Amino acid sequence: MGRYVERFSAFDRVVHWTLAVAFLVLVISGLGLFAHTFFGYFSFFGGPEQGILAHKIAGVVFLIASLLLFFAHAKDSCSFDSDDAKWFAAFGGYLSKNEKEIPQGKFNAGQKLFALFSFVAALVLGVTGFIIWDPTAMARGMTQFSLMLHGLFFILIMMGAVVHIYLATIGNPGTVDGMLWGQVKKVWAKKHASKWFKEVAGED
Amino acid sequence: MTNHWIDIRNSDVILIMGSNAAENHPISFKYVLEAMDKGAKLLSVDPRFTRTSAKADLYAPLRSGTDIAFLGGMIKYIIENNLYHAEYMQLHTNATFLVNPDFKMPGELDGLFSGYDEQKRSYDKSSWSFQRDAKGVPKSDLSMQDPNCVLQLLKKHFSRYTPELVSDITGTPQEKLMEVYQIYASTGKAGKAATIMYAMGWTQHTVGTQNIRTMAIIQLLLGNIGIAGGGVNALRGESNVQGSTDHCLLFHILPGYLPTPKASWPDLAKYIEKSTPQTNDPESANWWSNRSKYITSLLRAHFDSGLTTEEDFGYSLLPKLDDGQNASWLMLFDRMFKGDVKGFFAWGQNPACSGSNANKVRKALAKLDWMVTVNLFDNETASFWKGPKMDPSQIDTEVFFLPIAASFEKEGSITNSGRWAQWRYQAVEPLGNSRHDSQVMNELYSRVCALYKKEGGAFPEAITKLSWDYGFKGLDGKIEHIDIHAVAKEINGYFLADKVVKGKSFKKGDLVPSFAYLQDDGSTNSGNWLYCQSYNGKGNNMARRSQKDPSGIGLYPEWGWCWPVNRRILYNRASVDASGQPWDKKQPVIWWNGAKWQGDVPDGGWKPLNQPGTKKSFIMLPDGVASIFGAKMKEGPFPEHYEPLECPIEKNPLSGTKNNPVIKLFYEEGGLEEDIFYSCDQRYPYVATTYRVTEHWQTGVMTRNIPWLLEMQPSMFVEMNPQLAAEKNIKNGDWVKVSSARGQVEAVAIVTKRFQPFKVQGTTIHQVGLPWCYGWSTPNTGDSANLLTPTIGDANTMIPETKAFQVNIEKRG
Amino acid sequence: MARKAFMIDTSRCTACRSCQVACKQWNKLPADSEINRGSYENPPQLTPHLYNKIEFIETEVNGEFKWLFLNKRCLHCGEAGCLKVCPSTGALFRTEEGLIGFDKDKCIGCNYCVNGCPFDVPRYDADNKITKCHGCLDRVGNGLQPACVKACPTGTLQFGARDKLIAQGKTSGRKLYGEKALSGLGAMYLLDNQPQDYKLADNPSIPTSIFLWKDVIKPLGILGFWGSVGVAMLHYVTVGPKQLDDDTEAKGGE
Repeated sequence: MGRYVERFSAFDRVVHWTLAVAFLVLVISGLGLFAHTFFGYFSFFGGPEQGILAHKIAGVVFLIASLLLFFAHAKDSCSFDSDDAKWFAAFGGYLSKNEKEIPQGKFNAGQKLFALFSFVAALVLGVTGFIIWDPTAMARGMTQFSLMLHGLFFILIMMGAVVHIYLATIGNPGTVDGMLWGQVKKVWAKKHASKWFKEVAGED
Repeated sequence: MTNHWIDIRNSDVILIMGSNAAENHPISFKYVLEAMDKGAKLLSVDPRFTRTSAKADLYAPLRSGTDIAFLGGMIKYIIENNLYHAEYMQLHTNATFLVNPDFKMPGELDGLFSGYDEQKRSYDKSSWSFQRDAKGVPKSDLSMQDPNCVLQLLKKHFSRYTPELVSDITGTPQEKLMEVYQIYASTGKAGKAATIMYAMGWTQHTVGTQNIRTMAIIQLLLGNIGIAGGGVNALRGESNVQGSTDHCLLFHILPGYLPTPKASWPDLAKYIEKSTPQTNDPESANWWSNRSKYITSLLRAHFDSGLTTEEDFGYSLLPKLDDGQNASWLMLFDRMFKGDVKGFFAWGQNPACSGSNANKVRKALAKLDWMVTVNLFDNETASFWKGPKMDPSQIDTEVFFLPIAASFEKEGSITNSGRWAQWRYQAVEPLGNSRHDSQVMNELYSRVCALYKKEGGAFPEAITKLSWDYGFKGLDGKIEHIDIHAVAKEINGYFLADKVVKGKSFKKGDLVPSFAYLQDDGSTNSGNWLYCQSYNGKGNNMARRSQKDPSGIGLYPEWGWCWPVNRRILYNRASVDASGQPWDKKQPVIWWNGAKWQGDVPDGGWKPLNQPGTKKSFIMLPDGVASIFGAKMKEGPFPEHYEPLECPIEKNPLSGTKNNPVIKLFYEEGGLEEDIFYSCDQRYPYVATTYRVTEHWQTGVMTRNIPWLLEMQPSMFVEMNPQLAAEKNIKNGDWVKVSSARGQVEAVAIVTKRFQPFKVQGTTIHQVGLPWCYGWSTPNTGDSANLLTPTIGDANTMIPETKAFQVNIEKRG
Repeated sequence: MARKAFMIDTSRCTACRSCQVACKQWNKLPADSEINRGSYENPPQLTPHLYNKIEFIETEVNGEFKWLFLNKRCLHCGEAGCLKVCPSTGALFRTEEGLIGFDKDKCIGCNYCVNGCPFDVPRYDADNKITKCHGCLDRVGNGLQPACVKACPTGTLQFGARDKLIAQGKTSGRKLYGEKALSGLGAMYLLDNQPQDYKLADNPSIPTSIFLWKDVIKPLGILGFWGSVGVAMLHYVTVGPKQLDDDTEAKGGE
């Protein structure tokens, strides 16, 4: 028996990284609209009009990828149990070096929360993005509110992204492997997702 | 205008009635608002709440065609409340004169004055006269108490115009009537001025002239004529209508308001005898006694200077009217419709849209052999043969189109409503092959003249003997370029021989300094005596641009030039009392300093009225005073309310005489179907009126071709009140059909509270209004409101009654 | 330079609309093809080719019928919503006279200014570039009056030193609109009636959403973003990562 267990399918990985690239495009092009400081970022796209176009295309890709990813794992990410409550109570054990195992499924409570947040954020950004696609097409009040909401969720998702990237890389060594080539080490699985590990490997 | 545009700022009360100055004379509002800044009250009386009403202190609605009733009520109010300016009336009007006791008024004769002949539809005016003393001077009663004096007759006549009855005729709520009367009549005091700004809303009625007469009477009662901020002020419909009228736009006058010769005046002596008014009053200047000088100088300008006294300087070459002939617009097109007219120049006009009863006009054009249209753009007249309901294969009229230069493409003078002649310069070259009017006329003249010289023909001298000396002549004798200054100088006039006048000696070829120097011996010429001084030895006075205003009341005497002799306010000698001191000390127009007049050019330089050798203040009238009793009018010496030819009520509430009894009726039993009218007919229950809009000019030929203006007022509309719209199931913005006895137009409904129904004779009467600035030749704009208007004219002027007629409206299917 | 401004005295406006036409002439703007919709007010709204227009308002004030005329245009706000939201530096800008101009070459077509404006003024042309009244900054910069002011026959439109116009306006006895609002409008009104009779907001302000977006969320967001990066770093160096204890690889592998 190998040292690794399957965690993410090729489909998952392709969609995730598509989403990630779209996100990156959205951030760079969106920052050009967000503040004068970043206006120069439009030159990555050949100019502001092209940057806005790229933002719109990437936006659609991002929304589709977000929905695919969420619904593919909705069963895992939408079910919370008493262990999750314990996990939350202990802040996932991130506050101290004293590691205390809390049994978790495929995704820990934090990841589930993040999945839900990402889903909601993608939806909000998608819907408001649609409304401000042509900022003169809809009622002014609605467009203005959408512009605000789009900005708000941009900030929130950026903060989420920082946390997500940190925790998925250097914060929890070995985590990113699952998203890179699909497998994680058994030790990783035992440590971070013991219930799931039991399920997929039949081991303790 | 008796006064001028800037002078409006001197008024204390401004009545805008029969015009819509804010919309159609927008620049005038600069001065209206300046007056209001100083506390003046603005009154707007109109069937419709207009852009003028929006700025007014008080708006009063009235049904179209009832202005005399409205104003008659004001005359009653002024007299019965003793608000008139008695001293002014005694000095400057015929209010004190005693009238022939045989004179009877409509109160006694059921709407008619004495002397009516029903067969002739005219009056024998012999009873409309003054009692005269042995010398032939009218008798007067300075106390104005004699029951036969003009003031008492006026009082008696208008005593019938009670507020209740007036309100019942006009539809104006009584309290609004009284408010207007009260505010306006407050200017009967010395030192207070009220002005009237009117236009086609008063003239274009069967009682148009009497509308203005009524107001003139009010102004005389209140002492408002001749003073700063007063007067009777016609807002001219075009920038140069004043100028063209001065220079004989109308059939019955030659330049300078000299009457057109009649067939029964075969020679100059007869002309002078018949057309020169007489007076026996030594204190009357009777300025028209100078008629012989003006007509002679005119003939000398018109015709070859080689013509002699024996040849009457060419008098016989002038066209003559048959006795009693009326050659006004309606008559011309009636004759044209009947096939009596072969050719027609439509020069700078668009009768297919501007003519009342435009369907008849359009059909009349088809009866012509040829028509020359001279215009900036193609229009409904030039292309009438391919217009709606026309079959080009059936029309033989040959049409020529001459493209012409616009005003800013040529140099010349223009005379505004205030009689100011102002020189303007060419800004740009004419576009393409378009030419100046003068060039076109020069071509016409030289070719027609050459043909007459070569071929002879009937009466060639009328053309071949014309004087035509307006520039350098080529070897062929033809002038290549008309020098417009030469035309202006001839209008002013030259000395044709060396001459000493009033102690000054002049050489042949000198320009005449002013009309006081014109002669009747043939030694001077002048194309228009009123303009004599406009271009004299001092230069082109019309081109002056000094902004000095020593008067402080905006006379600007060295800005341009104004007729007569640069007098900025007409009848200004009525602005002073008998000793020559101004009624209004703060805004004096002229004043006597003990030795001479100061201020504006006085209306005659004689000493004040209380000094020996004086002459009375209204120098153009034989009696020397203003006519409150005006026997020259065809309908009567006092105005009387008559209903419009087409009106919504069965009976004139004032009398048994429904319509103006002396108008020429075009339609009678068996007459032309085109001239038909229906009065008080259920098929056409709504009163209609026509008007212009700020955004378009006249029939819109110029403005419909300017996209910026078409953008703002894109198409034909009809304004109506919400109650009528609801009855007719019409919503704002719907297309509706508006029809009259004579035609039909389609228009977008503007449903607005700016029109309110009138309560007249216990019934509700709705009025609608339409602009006449659109025509079929501009796509999607609609057609002219004049397709609806009637063939009927004012009794004195024959101006068509386009401001009150009857229509029906229905939603377009 | 002292701030310049328009003063629009509605009591003097006769709705002759020479301002509309003069603007089109100076700015070389084409006409819009229009239809009558049951009103004199055409076009019914500002368009990319119409920088100023007269609104015709039929209303009743204290039971009395009124026909009010209001010159609608960019009001050149002191605190301008359009400038606040414009992402492209220089696409919208404030001149030294205090007018708000635009540079089509720099406009990126985002349409944010349309929504940032408290008065719904900016429009976008067929090339998706901003257009609006720029106060004839080309004329004003050369010492001339804006075209609309030059053409106005009644003195409704005035242009000059803002404080002088305010001082004059205050003596007129009419309601002065826009002296303080939005840090002072660059086009103020003198009103005979209440602002709402002219369909003007009593206290115009930048739209709430736009204010929250640009003045609350944006600064807090920047703080939040860098905050979360900081927290992550702090966590790494204090608590540290969750290492895998029995990482076989670390022990040399199987």
